[in-house]
Amino acid sequence: MNVEINGARIFARIPTGIPVLGDFTINETLVVSWIVMAVITLLCIFLTRNMRVENITKRQAIAEMLVETANNFVRNNTGTRKFDKLIPFVAALFTTSVISNLISLTGLRSPTADLSTEAAWAIVVFIMITMEKIKAGGILGYMKGFTEPIAVMTPFNILSELATPVSMACRHFGNILSGIVINGLIYASLAVASSAILIHINATLAHIPILDVGIPAILSVYFDWFTGVMQAFIFSMLTIMYIANASEG
Amino acid sequence: METQELVTIVPWTFIAQILNLFIQMYLIKRFLFKPVNDILEKRQALTDKEIKDARTAKEDADKIREEYEGHMNGAKAEAARIISDAKKDAQFTADKMIKDAETEAHDIKVRAEADIEQEKKKAVNEAKDEISSLALDIAGKVVEKEINEADHRKLIDDFISKVGEAS
Repeated sequence: MNVEINGARIFARIPTGIPVLGDFTINETLVVSWIVMAVITLLCIFLTRNMRVENITKRQAIAEMLVETANNFVRNNTGTRKFDKLIPFVAALFTTSVISNLISLTGLRSPTADLSTEAAWAIVVFIMITMEKIKAGGILGYMKGFTEPIAVMTPFNILSELATPVSMACRHFGNILSGIVINGLIYASLAVASSAILIHINATLAHIPILDVGIPAILSVYFDWFTGVMQAFIFSMLTIMYIANASEG
Repeated sequence: METQELVTIVPWTFIAQILNLFIQMYLIKRFLFKPVNDILEKRQALTDKEIKDARTAKEDADKIREEYEGHMNGAKAEAARIISDAKKDAQFTADKMIKDAETEAHDIKVRAEADIEQEKKKAVNEAKDEISSLALDIAGKVVEKEINEADHRKLIDDFISKVGEAS
């Protein structure tokens, strides 16, 4: 039996004629991303409906708790209130990541199982880090930072600077992809196992992968729930830490 | 259906995801952070106002209490003053009465003594008058008759007995 694990499906291809960028493809990643965005936005609207100053509902309490958690997360990890402007960004990053990772539970393909998504996020974070560094030490101070402690180190410093977004993107993508690969392997192997058992009873029953019911759910506790939330947390945490460090020069 | 490679970066997807992230950031800001922060601010303002009101009320109460205590202290001092004045007055009156009584008693005594002295003087004077009149009588009698030894003796005895009667 062959197990095939593919990339995101391409639903439509719009030729653009731009040489480097190539055709614009409407693929699974984008469509599920939009679904994720819609889910998050509707959730926000639902939670903040009919807000009151006193006698708050449970829904409002949850909304306030989420905002407070985001505020505390950023403020505690940076140690200042200087980065309060970043709170919605970090919240968006974390929420999108969590919902994208967990949407695989519904059978849709996670947008985070496409390196394009993580690369996009990592580049945004990288640009923010760089801007923060330039703001802290000036353009010359930023350049000079690469020659420290000695000029010979410059190539390594540039390499380590570039490694930041690459490692962030690959860490997140690798974890989600490995979950998908392992899940695919487990489904396939359990199907083989169940047919091997059921063939003794009846030849037609052997096509029903009975072992695929229930058992993968246990494994998905780790591969979907734990990894999904953990990676989103790590990505947001690193974003905040890198930006806070960058501003210290 | 056509699929893309498992590990690849599709340029358009990459760009779209950057835009999606910023759109998501705006949406979260607009639909979660803005309303919640508005409510939190309103609540903060309400709390601040209540605390301020409570503080003002407390200050007012303190002021009233201070005033009241001031009044009470004034009243106490006034009462103490009245009592001490009354005591002083009473003491003064009592002292005066005692002094008056003493003076009066003294006066009465002095007057009584003076009266006694006068009476005594008067009595002595009367006695003297009597004696002189007796003496005149005796002298008259002596002149009237010849006096002998026996008559003489009798005269003296008479005189003395008369003086004894008179005194």
